[in-house]
Amino acid sequence: MERPHDLGGKPGFGAIDVAEAAEPFHNEWEARVFAINRLLLAAGRYTLDEFRDAIERLEPHVYADASYYERWLLAIEGMTVEPASEAER
Amino acid sequence: MSARFALGACVRAQAAAREGHTRLPAYLRGRIGSIVALRGRYPLADERARGLRDARVEMVYAVQFSLGDHDVVADLWESYLEGPA
Amino acid sequence: MSGVHDHHGSAEMTRRVDALVARLAHRGLVTDAAIAETIESFLTHAKPSNGFRIVARAWSDDAFRARLLDDANAAVAELGIDLSHWAPVTLRVVENTADVHNMIVCTLCSCYPIALLGPSPAWYKSAEYRARAVSEPRAVLAEFGVELPERTRIRVWDSTSEMRYLVLPRRPAGSDGLDEQRLATLVTRNGLIGTALV
Repeated sequence: MERPHDLGGKPGFGAIDVAEAAEPFHNEWEARVFAINRLLLAAGRYTLDEFRDAIERLEPHVYADASYYERWLLAIEGMTVEPASEAER
Repeated sequence: MSARFALGACVRAQAAAREGHTRLPAYLRGRIGSIVALRGRYPLADERARGLRDARVEMVYAVQFSLGDHDVVADLWESYLEGPA
Repeated sequence: MSGVHDHHGSAEMTRRVDALVARLAHRGLVTDAAIAETIESFLTHAKPSNGFRIVARAWSDDAFRARLLDDANAAVAELGIDLSHWAPVTLRVVENTADVHNMIVCTLCSCYPIALLGPSPAWYKSAEYRARAVSEPRAVLAEFGVELPERTRIRVWDSTSEMRYLVLPRRPAGSDGLDEQRLATLVTRNGLIGTALV
C-alpha cells in the first residue's frame, strides 16, 4: 500500500519556498515536541524506525495537511497511548 | 558473513513494493545501479520498525543510479537489492 | 527560551503537548526540566558554525581534507565536535569538484546532519524539495539561484540509511590569503547541503 511520505520523484510539486525562518522553531510547542521525541528515543521507548513508521502510517490527507511537528506529535501520541487493560488495572 | 555484492557490481533495486516501513524509496524500485561503497552492517530498518530488538543485520550499500542528466546515490540494505539479470 | 519565538494560533497545539507531557510525566518518562534542558542543549550544540569550521579546516589543510573524506567521524572528532551528542550517526563528506556538484536530500523523511548544521530549514523538510531534488535537481538549484556549467554532473545523495551527508564546497577563487577563521565566514549552511555553491 502506498504511504504518504515516499515523495522522491513524485510529480505535481511546485516551486520551493526557499525563505529562511528567523528561528529554528516557530512555536514553543514545536521545540517541546522535538525534545520529547529525543527523550523517548534515548530512553528506548521506541526506535527511530518505529517513530518513522508511525508518521508514515498517518492517513495521507492527515500527513499532507499536518505541519512538520504536528506529524511528530500525532506519531508520539499514537505510540504512547497506554493499553486499555493497563489503564483499567 | 561476507557481503553479497562487491564494489562496482551492477545491481537492481527490488521492483516489488515492500509492505510496511522500508527505506527503499519507490522512485528507485526496479532501477539498475552500481555499488559505489559498502557502508557496513546495520539492523534492517524494516524489521526495527516492527519493534524487533534482534532485527536482522545486513550490509548496507551506497548504490548510484543514473537518472538522465544527473545521478542519485542511496544507501540500501542488501535485502532491497538483487542481481541485475 | 532562546531560539524559540512564539507565534499566534498555537494555543490548541500547546494544550495537546501539555496533555502529552502530563501523561508521560505520570509514567516517569519525561519532566518539564528534562524537556527544557534538551531544547537548550540542542540549540547550544547543534549549530552550522560546526560545519563551517570543518570546511575551513579542509580548505586549509590537505591532510585533514583527505582524512575527512576517508573517515569523517574521526576527522570531525579532531576538531572537538561531538557527533554522537544527538544520535549515533555515520557522517560522509562528499566533495564538489569542477565535474561533480553534490546535493543532499531525504526523500523519505528529513534526515539531516543536525549536529553540524543545526535545525534544518523548512524548505529541506518541504514536500516540494523532497519530491523534486531527485528528479530535477538542476531546476531546484535554479530556484536557489545556483547555475552550474552544463558539464558539471549533479549527484544527489538520498539519506535513506543511518548515513548523514555533508557537502564540501569548492574553495572560492580569490580566498588564497585567508586564514581558517576568515575562510569559515565564507561558508553558508546551504553550501553544506549543496543548494549554494559555498
